[in-house]
Amino acid sequence: MEPLEIFIVETAEPSEAKAYESIMKDVISELAFVRTIGRIKVRIRPEDSLFMMAIILRRGLPPVKAKEISETEIDRPGSKVLITVTDEKTIPQFLEKLWAQFGRANVIQPQRNLIEVISDDLKAAEDSIGDIIVDDPEKSLRERLADMAIRSTPEGFRIRYHSLDNGRFIFVASEDTMQQEWIDEARVMLEELTGDDVNGSSA
Amino acid sequence: MAAVLEPYIYEGGIHKHSLILELLEDLGGYLVQKTPASTEVTLVMLIPKKDVPLVEELCKKLLGTLTSAPLTGTEIAVVSPTLASHHLPHSACDVAEYLRRGGANTNMIGLARGMGRRVALSADYERRLINEHDVAVFSFGTFKDCIINKKPKLFEGIDIPIVVSGGPDLKTEDVPGADMYVGGIGRVAHRMRKGPELDAMDVLSEKVGEIINLKREIISKDPLVVLPARLMKEVQEQVPDIHDVLTPAPITLQLDGMRIKLPFEEYHEAIGNIEFDEGFKLSDIANITSSKMKDYVLIKIKRRSEVGSTI
Repeated sequence: MEPLEIFIVETAEPSEAKAYESIMKDVISELAFVRTIGRIKVRIRPEDSLFMMAIILRRGLPPVKAKEISETEIDRPGSKVLITVTDEKTIPQFLEKLWAQFGRANVIQPQRNLIEVISDDLKAAEDSIGDIIVDDPEKSLRERLADMAIRSTPEGFRIRYHSLDNGRFIFVASEDTMQQEWIDEARVMLEELTGDDVNGSSA
Repeated sequence: MAAVLEPYIYEGGIHKHSLILELLEDLGGYLVQKTPASTEVTLVMLIPKKDVPLVEELCKKLLGTLTSAPLTGTEIAVVSPTLASHHLPHSACDVAEYLRRGGANTNMIGLARGMGRRVALSADYERRLINEHDVAVFSFGTFKDCIINKKPKLFEGIDIPIVVSGGPDLKTEDVPGADMYVGGIGRVAHRMRKGPELDAMDVLSEKVGEIINLKREIISKDPLVVLPARLMKEVQEQVPDIHDVLTPAPITLQLDGMRIKLPFEEYHEAIGNIEFDEGFKLSDIANITSSKMKDYVLIKIKRRSEVGSTI
């Protein structure tokens, strides 16, 4: 799926759809979503105070595991695990994960790219460190997706429904009580977007 | 008979700009606002019509530019339904900036609960604050249905002329309660810098100018007892504390009065006691009230029909 290969905004007045498309484009580029969104469809009915959006995300980046960005070894006296980090920008997240697992007192960072971990069972610790998920781009993407939905909605539409399932996102907002038929309509929009490229929808 | 004054903005270097101020004083003009910014200065002035070429000549000599500023001496409220990122800073702030280029003083007013359709409303305090201005510009969004059917309830209780800006291309009479509608300035999430957007802003500035001229005409039929610019000069001379006020426009002129940015409780008596050479006291020829904006002093000058003569 190409980035933004389908971009549809529907309103009763075609000129309003065009204006809203420009707003959506600004929001998408501001939140750096251009390469992440594959297909997007927005339907707005101001007379019903209704905003609906269906998005199919492109395949995202896989989680970054510790063994991909570092090398671990047990030091010679056998007192601690030495971690040499090769990707410097992940160190803050990595440290946080290590603190959570081994306790702050047992994680020492004598140099910028060197981390020492003290544990009772060094071998088990060394094995487990490699599998720690240091960074999950999917998670930050989910957070930004919610932000994008709220920014694109007309202000005042504060009754919201959203669902994200395997890279398929629907969002409905209104200022009146949420109605099941709106959610169903949004799901139909999502199905229309999916079309024949079902495999492309997984994130 | 007072000389006819023409509003102009000078933009140029700060070096020797005092020559312009001296000339302006000699000619009997008024400096409305002076904004220095590092080595540049912006002067908003009222110049006697027949002496404009003299000032123009001096400005040319100082390598600055003198441009006509039809909105000078007005205070305009730019009203946005809320302060949320959906409405601000674009396009409401862009609108305000464009009006300032025309010489107006603008105040941004974000309503507390102006968002949405059914739920949109304004508070009594907000309406009174808006009514203190000369003109209110309401900055609305993209949808015709909202602008025609829902948002006009925000105009209830607004007595001053209302200019509405929005995305769709509508006629003024389609928007109930509006005195003027300008299209092409709807909700945008970027700074307005594209050709059609800037054109729409020019139209807005022009239309606001028309409304202001209409209001000026109405005032001229039953003129103010004293010109706001003349009163400003008296305030500067007789209430010296105004020179210690640090806001960009310590005295903000309006078509029929002014806002003096000093606390009402402490200063309203001193301001009321301002005397004119012609023998009047300000409290006799103007209503001095507390402004809804930070408890400043709001002056509305009385008309000739009320007082019997003009200064």
